[in-house]
Amino acid sequence: MFGQLFISGLATGSLYALTAVAVVVVFRNTRTINLAQGDFSMIGAFVALVLIKSFAFNYYFALAGSVVFCIGLGILAERVVMRQIADSDWLTLFTATLGMYYILHGVAGHFWGRDTKAFPLTFDPTPINVFGGIISQGHVVNMAWAAAIGLVLFIFFKYTKQGIAMRAVTDDPETAALMGIPVRFIVLLTWGMAGFLAAFAGVLIAPIIYVSPEMMDEVLIKGYVAAVFGGLYSIPGAIIGALLIGICENLAGGYLGSHFKTVTAFAMIVLLLAFRPHGLFGIQKRREV
Amino acid sequence: MADINAAFKAKMVQRKWAAMGVLFLAAVIFPMAPGVESWMASEATLIIMYIMAAQGVSILTGYTGLVTVGHGGFLAVGAYASALSTKYLGTDLITGMFVGAAMSAFVGWALGLVFLRLSGAFMAIGTLGFAFFVGTVVNNVPIFEGREGISLPKNHVIGFEIGDIGFYYTALAALGVTTLFVSLLVRSGVGRAFMALRDSEKAAEASGVNRVFYRTLAFSLSAAVTGVAGVLFAHYVNYVSSEVFADIWYSVDFLVATVVGGSAVLLGPFVGGLFVAFLPTFIELFVDQPGDLAFIIKGGALIFVLIVAPAGVVVGLVQLFRWLRGKLGGDTQ
Repeated sequence: MFGQLFISGLATGSLYALTAVAVVVVFRNTRTINLAQGDFSMIGAFVALVLIKSFAFNYYFALAGSVVFCIGLGILAERVVMRQIADSDWLTLFTATLGMYYILHGVAGHFWGRDTKAFPLTFDPTPINVFGGIISQGHVVNMAWAAAIGLVLFIFFKYTKQGIAMRAVTDDPETAALMGIPVRFIVLLTWGMAGFLAAFAGVLIAPIIYVSPEMMDEVLIKGYVAAVFGGLYSIPGAIIGALLIGICENLAGGYLGSHFKTVTAFAMIVLLLAFRPHGLFGIQKRREV
Repeated sequence: MADINAAFKAKMVQRKWAAMGVLFLAAVIFPMAPGVESWMASEATLIIMYIMAAQGVSILTGYTGLVTVGHGGFLAVGAYASALSTKYLGTDLITGMFVGAAMSAFVGWALGLVFLRLSGAFMAIGTLGFAFFVGTVVNNVPIFEGREGISLPKNHVIGFEIGDIGFYYTALAALGVTTLFVSLLVRSGVGRAFMALRDSEKAAEASGVNRVFYRTLAFSLSAAVTGVAGVLFAHYVNYVSSEVFADIWYSVDFLVATVVGGSAVLLGPFVGGLFVAFLPTFIELFVDQPGDLAFIIKGGALIFVLIVAPAGVVVGLVQLFRWLRGKLGGDTQ
């Protein structure tokens, strides 16, 4: 029982991590708490659903289409909205993402309706046996995806020119600009990355929570909480936070009853923010907001 | 030069109060005007509630500098406090408002204590979590009757039953009280302490402002005002349910209303409340099925306002007005 709950919690947590990492990346490069992050995912899930249902794409092509679309969406958000107000204080930036939240909710509701839609299951639902615990194949696949994306991010930040430039912008945008790093392009890249992560977060979680304009609202909150675990700065911190949330809420749901499942994440926010306001992990350099 | 500035300021303050007076007078006459139907009064009541809730947010976000995305939670606290006391104790609307304000103030105080060390983006996330937390509680704790909801009897004020118009006047009176309260608050020592904390917590503390006391006070006053709006909301539809009050939209709408109007000006919540609550109705006049289209237009309008006037519509207009005066060779400065 414990192992089972633990592993499926880990699987859900790894999906939260995708949102959490996107929140952190955008925040540390642009000071923006992106409230539309969940809606990027929601749009991504709808796009994939439409590609599968109406255009008879197979799952992987639909996923790819969704990724491309969401990257475009992220870039569009930066170019059309966020760049115009990039110098404003963070409340203005935050409120602008609220505006995008309205728009994306409205767009999804207008084109696809407010009702909840099932997302076709792509994997054999028969559970498999891993280390004595019985878990569904979907969980294993989701974890594999999340791990693969994590690896891609690690390589990107560690070894590619753009990734290193992105870290430089995080640490000190002014010096980075003086060193010849194209800060604007890096910011654009940041939003593109947010879209990239959003597409995976949306499409992978869609079979579990179904597709509707509101599907990502709770996931987004959990992503925020996870991001706070890393002090809104550290990517590993955010990932660990996301996994912790997934595991804790699943254990609470399993042992205490399903009512406690949602409450757990919120109880964790309150406890975390009350006692370790700037994250669980010691962050040496943090930009004041 | 200082004298001229002071005189100018006094003139502006005078004008502001005159504008307020005219606004309220117009609001009083409004239901009696020809061609105004009962549903318009209800619509106006809805706008009043949004304005009041935004006033609550502006105390915390505008004057104290703590951004909150959780005031939908206080709306729910006020609404449920009054609904439960009406159901079990048979209180009327006015008593309900006091009960809602008190309960909301208490929860606000507690939240202020819990989030004592938060600021900036962390506070926004924390309060958003609070709104979700309240949503989960009213969904799952039996006394709140979840999605079934609690139906309330017809509204009474000091023994009289009131209809739509009567409710409108009650709400308007309540808005008058909260407006007066906010305007007196921000001029008082307490308001100055809030603003000192907003501008620099460290400097404020060094000057003897008790941070813990004033922060929690800001939270509870802000929560109380929004709580009263929640009471009005509950009695306006005679029904509370988690379907309505667990919704995160209210929290978002109230913050938007505050930011759009101008978060630290008295008129800000009025403009913002109108923006958030009236825009969908306004769009409905032109389009048959607004709903989602209203969302899109609202979002677009919000972004437009932020790009054009980042400090809010009211501040933007004042700046425009000053600039025009300068251009036209005004008499001062």
